[in-house]
Amino acid sequence: MKFTSIRPIAFTLARELVITALLLVGVSFVVFVILYSAPGDPFALLLQGQVSAVQNSGIHDSLGVPTTWYGQYLSWLGNISTGNFGTSIRTGLPVLAEIVRVAINTLYLTIGAMLITLAVAIPIALMSARQGTTAVTWPLTIFAYVISALPVFWLGYIAIYISTHKFGYFPITVGYSSSKSLGFIPFLLPIAVLGLGNGTISEVVRYLREEMERVFAEDYIRTAVAKGGSIWKHSFKEGFLIPITQIIASKIPFILGGAVVVEQVFNWPGMGRMAWQAAQDRDYPIIMGVVILAAVIVRMGSLLQRVVYVMVNPRASQE
Amino acid sequence: MSENTVLKIQDLRTYFFSRSKQVFIRSVDGVDLQVNRGETLGIVGESGSGKSVTALSVTGLVTAEPGVITGTIEFTSNGVTKNLLQGLEDFVTFETVDGRIMTLEKDNRGWQKNVDRLVHRIRGQEISMIFQNPRVSMNPFMTIGKQITESIMLNTAIKNAAEATDKARYWLEQVKIDSPNLRLENFPYGLSGGMCQRAMIAMALSSEPSLLIADEPTTGLDSTIQSKIVDLLVELKEQVGVTTMLISHDINIISRLADNVAVMYGGSVMESGPVERILAKDDEYKHPYTAALLESIPDEEHIKLKGHLKAIEGDVLDTVNIPDGCRFYSRCNRVHAKIEDKCRHTEPDLREISEGRLIRCWLYLN
Repeated sequence: MKFTSIRPIAFTLARELVITALLLVGVSFVVFVILYSAPGDPFALLLQGQVSAVQNSGIHDSLGVPTTWYGQYLSWLGNISTGNFGTSIRTGLPVLAEIVRVAINTLYLTIGAMLITLAVAIPIALMSARQGTTAVTWPLTIFAYVISALPVFWLGYIAIYISTHKFGYFPITVGYSSSKSLGFIPFLLPIAVLGLGNGTISEVVRYLREEMERVFAEDYIRTAVAKGGSIWKHSFKEGFLIPITQIIASKIPFILGGAVVVEQVFNWPGMGRMAWQAAQDRDYPIIMGVVILAAVIVRMGSLLQRVVYVMVNPRASQE
Repeated sequence: MSENTVLKIQDLRTYFFSRSKQVFIRSVDGVDLQVNRGETLGIVGESGSGKSVTALSVTGLVTAEPGVITGTIEFTSNGVTKNLLQGLEDFVTFETVDGRIMTLEKDNRGWQKNVDRLVHRIRGQEISMIFQNPRVSMNPFMTIGKQITESIMLNTAIKNAAEATDKARYWLEQVKIDSPNLRLENFPYGLSGGMCQRAMIAMALSSEPSLLIADEPTTGLDSTIQSKIVDLLVELKEQVGVTTMLISHDINIISRLADNVAVMYGGSVMESGPVERILAKDDEYKHPYTAALLESIPDEEHIKLKGHLKAIEGDVLDTVNIPDGCRFYSRCNRVHAKIEDKCRHTEPDLREISEGRLIRCWLYLN
């Protein structure tokens, strides 16, 4: 790649990063306000009414917790900017290290699920874009719609039921220890459930098919065919690459949301389960940390999409 | 079929189906054409007369259904003649009522596969095409250089990228684009319409085809650019001398470039012959439609006097409800009592009335 084509990409990256930073501040603020106004706080939960109101405020002071809500938010924000996410109220462990430890598991789960979604949706989309509605593509499209309509928790329990009763292993122990070595299967089951059940397959099929069909009908594709060129090669960038990055970027939040459910169902030690647990415990630093990380992942998706768009589209990269 | 014929189209019918009206649109309805080696055949006619669809039918690029229904398209190259519609009848079944196709079934997927097989190594290699609206006809995501070198490497003996780039540069010089070296690196969006059309012509010629189909090559361009593109085409015709099928609704372009002309109306050829005979207002044979077309072009005198422009009375033929008789009957101003009955009820044949001169009109068929 030539230098001149790197500059617009660097520019796009820089702009997206600035937007991301601003967005993270916004997201953390909104979440903080919601948490603050929600009933209960970690002290109430920890002390369980064992102390009087006076003692309670004394505890706040001695632990250095600012009493006003904006004071609390600003002190949290100040710590964040130095990379200090605080410590978990429940376990006392540093939030950042805890989240990174489980985030890896969530990434396995979501990236694997995304790959499965794409592996199912892309062939259906491309086949039906090229061939139209045929005896093969029609049932496949219907299948995509039906599978997308199934709720992910239901699919998860069905998968557990079948694997336990029909195949005799218990996938709930995944990620901890297993007396029986099952290889990759226990890992694949939750990934497959999230990949099929996140509800996005039908949307990927529909969007990709529409875009591909639109591009197939473009005049420049006709020119390519007229000169003996490949319709796939010429439609790849506009018909496949741009739409696929767009849909991936827009579906990351759905898959993360689905991951929370799947992690619960399969006891998968990931971010979603941690966030769930933290919400039960009013463990504010953990919740804030998870929210920030989730927002970062979502933003990374749209950043990828922007960069691909600029790389692929000569208009965007040269002007 | 003479030795010199490159392309011979017989009884080509290309229909489309209107779902909303549940009727066939008879876009091309029995076209007969012949292109001889080294000559330029101009196809002229109003919009909607089936010119472009004829061209797309030749190279199997008709995508709407049902598409090509009947006919033969014989293409000759290196002494080998091939029917590009070979086996078409296996994919189509239809019923006719009074010589008209009323119901029709076509296995379009099977047919498309068959066509792709038939035109493999012909489309691109032997027959090149130039389209109208050059700015949308070139791939916006690929440099001009890449698009031309792709065509060269696919269709000529050159398989080496560096050589192909040299050849692409050569063709860009041939079409007189300014700074060809720079253009190789340009994407279509950075080029004007005229430059894009030059690049498109370079790409079409770069595969060194036996037949060039230029479908409205100047439509969608500014009129000053149009005349420059026509100048270029005239020059290239002398230098390169490729057999060409030139489609245009602009009689000026046809008169400058064509050797023979076919006049199309309502999906069918009305008249064909040498350009100087067809476009001469005082020729002894003249189809009333051609006469009306020529009348509608203002001459210098007319422009000076600021007279009214003459239009052909009536509307372009509705290709859905084609009448029984002559297609031009409803707009014809030369029908007289002796032939009126025939004009109204029986379609005349395209018949040779003198050497190389074909006409479809009852005026001359008695």
